[in-house]
Amino acid sequence: MDTDQNRAVTRTFSLRGLTSSPFERGRTRQTDDVSGFNMPAPLEIIGAHKAFRSPEGATVTALDNVSVKLAQAEFMTLLGPSGCGKTTLLRTISGFETLDAGDILIDGKEVTNQPAFRRPVNTVFQRYALFDHMNVARNVGYALEIAGKSKRDIQARVGEMLELVGLEGLGQRNISQLSGGQQQRVALARALAAKPKLLLLDEPLSALDKNLRQKMQQELKTLQRELGIGFIFVTHDQEEALTMSDRIAVLANGKIQQLGAPDALYTKPANLFTADFLGESNLLPVAIERGVATLADGQNFPCSNESAKGTLLLRPEVLRRTAPSEPSLTVQGTVVASYYQGKDCLVDFESPSLGALKANLREFKSLPERGETVSFYASTSDLHVINEVSS
Amino acid sequence: MKRLLSLYGIAFFAFVYAPILLVVLFSFNANPINMMIWDGFTLDWYRLIFGMETSVTESSTYIDTTPQLYSAVRVSFTVALTTTAISTVFGTILALAVARYRFRLAGLYRALLMVPMIMPDIVLGIALLIFFITIGMNLSMGTIIIGHCTFLISYVFVTVSTRLAQLDLSVEEASADLGASPFQTFRKVTLPSIAPGVMGGGLLAFIISMDDLVITYFIAGTGNTTLPIHIWGMLRRGIKPEINAIATLLLLFSIAVAALGLYLRSRQK
Repeated sequence: MDTDQNRAVTRTFSLRGLTSSPFERGRTRQTDDVSGFNMPAPLEIIGAHKAFRSPEGATVTALDNVSVKLAQAEFMTLLGPSGCGKTTLLRTISGFETLDAGDILIDGKEVTNQPAFRRPVNTVFQRYALFDHMNVARNVGYALEIAGKSKRDIQARVGEMLELVGLEGLGQRNISQLSGGQQQRVALARALAAKPKLLLLDEPLSALDKNLRQKMQQELKTLQRELGIGFIFVTHDQEEALTMSDRIAVLANGKIQQLGAPDALYTKPANLFTADFLGESNLLPVAIERGVATLADGQNFPCSNESAKGTLLLRPEVLRRTAPSEPSLTVQGTVVASYYQGKDCLVDFESPSLGALKANLREFKSLPERGETVSFYASTSDLHVINEVSS
Repeated sequence: MKRLLSLYGIAFFAFVYAPILLVVLFSFNANPINMMIWDGFTLDWYRLIFGMETSVTESSTYIDTTPQLYSAVRVSFTVALTTTAISTVFGTILALAVARYRFRLAGLYRALLMVPMIMPDIVLGIALLIFFITIGMNLSMGTIIIGHCTFLISYVFVTVSTRLAQLDLSVEEASADLGASPFQTFRKVTLPSIAPGVMGGGLLAFIISMDDLVITYFIAGTGNTTLPIHIWGMLRRGIKPEINAIATLLLLFSIAVAALGLYLRSRQK
């Protein structure tokens, strides 16, 4: 499979001489299936169910009928608070946990009961899990060594991988001689060396400081596009998820709350959990009748939701200080606190009719002062009503 | 307070090391009758051990000691090397089993593995002797090896368990994730990671086996004199200066083994 000829063919299609098996597969498939529509999904999970027994003897449902299908070369993030089931889901894909019910297909083949070492996926672990007793090059070449590749092939591939992650010439270093960021890169190179069909990443950036983290986010995204393989990325950091993903699966209580593109999830969340978990939000109850939603203070706006009651999601950044020309809502209140943050300004204020609210101003001449009475406007096209009422 | 503590420190080290230093010093004392009186430097006691020509008169030596001493050293080494090999392998396997698998009564199992370490030597010695007699086994080098293994496995188990407890389990998962079968993971990741513990356990077992007197005394039978038993036998004929030389050589040997252990451990990192 790894013949020189093969490599020469694919080289032109991927950057820096990198080849990835899904890509090769894609090309061969395309010759007999021009549309490419019959290509199997890199990952499909059907009705996954998993329960644990807690030390106290109670049964905890970690995965509750989870189904998800990854598109070709998709970057999907599993996002949720700790204990939501995202790590369990990742571990059932890698094979470290077995499902109580449901099926897992990788590249169209069922792997539900296969042990981890037989699955064509690789993982970047949260704390890297590098082999301390081996140098960088042996860490990176480990999967190839296990697969029984020749020394020359391993050396060549290790060189390629170290170049890819920006660690040229560090192959002979010990793991303990590397910084956290470098160890992260070794873990990444090691996981990619065997050309997995799918790369799983378990909160890989959580141990890095903020600057390095942002840099790695961009690098990972670029790398994923270059390789053209599926990435499943687990995180509890919503900004990270919004920045990197093609789609985000928001998990809570073992269920996928919502699955969609980052902007859709942010602007049009399907439920209160997603609305609250992603970004800052003002959530206001509304009554809906014949296509009109009415707020507690009597203001109304057109709304197409079917239910009788709902919750208005008013993102702090849709509030403005000047009235727009199009129809808008007006909220008035007294400033409780305001925070200058460079490019924008956060204002906490208290409305007599709607309660405590937050505004995030992008354009402001002066910081609203504590005790000042302010009016904010939100154009009705920026409003989104969720068919759920908080209890 | 600081002065008091440093004084205490000096006193403590004097208390521990003064007797040992005296033995080393006496081993070079030329006075054959009274060790307490310095009579000039000599290597005669060492020469005597190795059966070389000395100026020592016969009354101050253990007669005909060299061949017996060599034989005792040989028996001790054979026993220690065999028990070390056996107890290192089985102790490591036990530690892996207890650390990796959850089973009922794991706590009891762990506690039972510790018991041989705290069991009084004399009890273990008598128990082993009665056991060997009961099952009709003749006392031999074999019974010494079996006897030593019964408690040395515990020492290896404890040392390896400590190392295993520090090992990050995700390293083994990473190995499996990269395609290694459970056996490959053990050979390439787990074993190299716990190697310092296994080595430490092995060296400890070796030194304890070399050094054991009480248990060995019960189960050695005749004709299988180990070095500690031989020395014990010499002492019963009075304290002669060459005993100091033997003790000093033993001390040197122990230090060498410990240094080897430290060196191997430092090379691991």
